[in-house]
Amino acid sequence: MNVVNNRWVPVALVAAWLAAPRAFAADARSAVSEEKLEQQITQLQQQLDQLKAQQQELKAQNEALAAQQQQQAAQAQAASAVAPAGGISPDLSLWGYGEIYYTHPVHDAALTEFDLARAVFGIGYRFDERTVFNSEFEVEHAVASASDAGEFEVEQFYVDRQLAGWASLKAGLFLMPFGLLNEHHEPTNYYGVQRNFVETLIIPSTWREGGVGFHGTTSIGLSWDVGLTTGMNLGNWDNNPQDPLYRTALQLEDNDVAPLQATHQELQLADAQHLSQYVSLNYSGVPGLLVGGAIFTGDAAVATVPAGLPDQRVTLWEGHARWTPGAADLSAVYARGSISNTAAYNLANTGVSNPMPAQFLGYYVQGAYTLWQRAGMRFSPFVRWEHYDMGASYDGIPPGFTTVPSGLAADGLPWPQPNDRVWTFGANFYINPHVVFKADYQDFSVNGNLTRFDLGMGLSY
Amino acid sequence: MIPGSRIVVLPLAAITLCQPAQAMSYLSVEQAQQLMFGSRPLTPLPLALNATEIGAIERDSGVKVYAGSLRAWKADDGYFFTDAVIGKHDLINYAVALSADGKVRQVEILEYREAYGGEVRNAGWRAQFVGRHHGDPLQIGQDIQNISGATLSCQHVTDGIRRLLSTYAIAIAKR
Repeated sequence: MNVVNNRWVPVALVAAWLAAPRAFAADARSAVSEEKLEQQITQLQQQLDQLKAQQQELKAQNEALAAQQQQQAAQAQAASAVAPAGGISPDLSLWGYGEIYYTHPVHDAALTEFDLARAVFGIGYRFDERTVFNSEFEVEHAVASASDAGEFEVEQFYVDRQLAGWASLKAGLFLMPFGLLNEHHEPTNYYGVQRNFVETLIIPSTWREGGVGFHGTTSIGLSWDVGLTTGMNLGNWDNNPQDPLYRTALQLEDNDVAPLQATHQELQLADAQHLSQYVSLNYSGVPGLLVGGAIFTGDAAVATVPAGLPDQRVTLWEGHARWTPGAADLSAVYARGSISNTAAYNLANTGVSNPMPAQFLGYYVQGAYTLWQRAGMRFSPFVRWEHYDMGASYDGIPPGFTTVPSGLAADGLPWPQPNDRVWTFGANFYINPHVVFKADYQDFSVNGNLTRFDLGMGLSY
Repeated sequence: MIPGSRIVVLPLAAITLCQPAQAMSYLSVEQAQQLMFGSRPLTPLPLALNATEIGAIERDSGVKVYAGSLRAWKADDGYFFTDAVIGKHDLINYAVALSADGKVRQVEILEYREAYGGEVRNAGWRAQFVGRHHGDPLQIGQDIQNISGATLSCQHVTDGIRRLLSTYAIAIAKR
């Protein structure tokens, strides 16, 4: 600012000099005066030039200072913006999620349960700008020991390396990119106290396999995944339980009843002689819209008893869509799986209570609407209709035999059917984006005794 | 079919793993400047925010201000900014061009590091910010549509742009 003011000093001097009340008589002194005047103007010109140079210098200094300031600011950012996430080290990240259910079967209050279903801890470490390690460890049902129902599981354990702007590679135990829920299974991400049945019984969330996978996104909104992983071990199929595997909807979800739930290996000394491959595509180029699908296929490990069973292939494919225009949230998933050569297996095991299905499928449509929200709080009622069929078709069932025992089970009740149509009505109430309270009512039309009322709390950080 | 794909995948992985370990940069600051302002000159704009201004920006935008996360330049017809937010665990660096009257002209993702959520790079998603200015609510899920599966990245970039517009209104337009 001083520089600008200084510029006016010589101008004012000239003006003052010109305006001064002096006699301009045409006398002998006039030549001398003109000469003096010229000298003064020259001096003023020199002063002006000096000031100009000074101003240039100051401007350059100012710009250099600004650039320096920005550079320092950027350095400060690198230190301050990352540090709060880890605490111990800026390269370490910790996170977690969990959920608690109260579930009340309306036709049999004696089976009401309260369960700390999941407590999950995530640990990540960034080795360098392109390479990150992620892991999640999960305790199910609060207590895990030889005599308790709970489990301790490694849910994810992989290294992800960015290769180029369009592709990354991951290796280890990672989540399969299927449906809307499997990769985003934190309770704050879905409606209802428990996960929907299609993405539990048909897509066996939380579904993970060991292997390698490439993935990437493009600027037009198409993202892709492709990889080679472990697959199913059909030798784990429990084909002849003496009692029904479930009597409540909670047990239906938890007891590894469904074909892929019962046979996926979770990288626990997994059979690796047979590998599977998957491809997944998702398009989210239009804001608010997600459309995608995926397919997984591969030879499975087969039962060793009786010997000589043929090779069997397991295939699962699905399509999904989600549209979130403003306060509404609409979604749909269709999933279908098949197991080849089940006839030989079933013919070798006639008369069992749980033959191996050749096909299984499920689909749902769901609508939610945010009725109210303020400062991170949100109240969103929803309704969902779904159909699942864990035994859509069977091969190798001789005439006179059934796929579900026709009499009563030992507890005096009929055996449950592997298919149902379920209406769910409920609401999610978020007290902030990380903590949600939920309530719902689920009406089962085939297995009426599974109908239930649930309350839940979920969190994710 | 399967043994064949196994043989393709492994050498591909081996070759691509041997690249240098620098951040995955989609655009450099200079490239973003060129993209948004062509060859028009950009002068660095010092933003030494004082405590009063930081407090005002945090109240106005509802987003925490980290010291020095924002850099600004002025052009004859607008402003160029670079800023960063945390996606889930890692920084997302982005650039924003504002017109001379403070409206968003363009948003570009400069660097993205996480394994999930890279869909914020979608041109269609970023285009939702064009024409927005300070005073627009800019709330994710309401006036800015989310990307399913990239929720946290979308949420935090939206928060960052809301903070940037508050900073413009409080610390630049008023000066």
